[in-house]
Amino acid sequence: MQRLEIEKTKSSPQIDFNAQTHTHLIRGESYPENTTQFYTPILEWITMYLREGYEGEINFNIELIYFNSSSSKVLLDLFDILEETNNNKIIVNWIHDEEDEAMEEYGEEFQEDIEHITFVIKTKE
Amino acid sequence: MLNQSLYSYKDALDREGIIFTFCGPISHDIVEGVGVTLKSQMQEDDVSRTTAMKVFAIFIEQVQNVINYSQERNDTSVDMGMGIIVVGKHDNKHFIVGGNKIHTSKVAELEKNLKDLVKMDKNELKIFYKEKRKVNNNADSKGAGIGFIEMARKATQPLEYSFEKIDDAYSFFSIEANI
Repeated sequence: MQRLEIEKTKSSPQIDFNAQTHTHLIRGESYPENTTQFYTPILEWITMYLREGYEGEINFNIELIYFNSSSSKVLLDLFDILEETNNNKIIVNWIHDEEDEAMEEYGEEFQEDIEHITFVIKTKE
Repeated sequence: MLNQSLYSYKDALDREGIIFTFCGPISHDIVEGVGVTLKSQMQEDDVSRTTAMKVFAIFIEQVQNVINYSQERNDTSVDMGMGIIVVGKHDNKHFIVGGNKIHTSKVAELEKNLKDLVKMDKNELKIFYKEKRKVNNNADSKGAGIGFIEMARKATQPLEYSFEKIDDAYSFFSIEANI
């Protein structure tokens, strides 16, 4: 599958999804003008990618410093798609700045409802 | 001429502690531009990072509400809604106020939702937020429908709101968050 790369803007995050390395990145701020329009191709890419059924470890590194309420809903949609695989080798790394307690709490709120994949909260190195 | 009274207008805003106000067509470009300015302004004023991020987050929800839900709109290719946004600081508290026209027919439902929301404590808000986030959107909702809950969670006191009837068809809705 072709690598999905989107450059960050003031209101949308950098996306770098790589089907060769199986490490995928969402980094930056997320409050796009049209959340559905921005994230639909991204969720479609993930759905296609998961269909390939890679059996090794897959990492989703999510390094957001701010996201608005509609992006929060999209993140939940993303985690739902990942959960459906029932594959604990899919690892979401929720990465936040050490002092950023709000982002840590957001991570914990997602983590509470995750059952079928691995969800790790980390501070940024 | 406004030219001659502009200073007293600005002075009145300053006395209210207003850092920033915008009235008119609000588009995404304004959200981005002002958001960035607001963050650096707060940094200069030594506002703690936690508070600055809360003010910024509420500002974003407020302006995106105006863009998505104002019933007074510009008929252009750019998606914008007419409204007013005020950000300020008074007695060491930040306030972010947003207002726009809505259909009077929508007032009762919105008022009921907000009435329920202001009664909730932080834990109830968290549960409600997570519950609503899971639900699929209404067809007429452009956002996730959880913007007010997000604002209530970030604010340090209950949201304040009001409705003013303009005519039979429209009302003016305003909502204030304090941090």
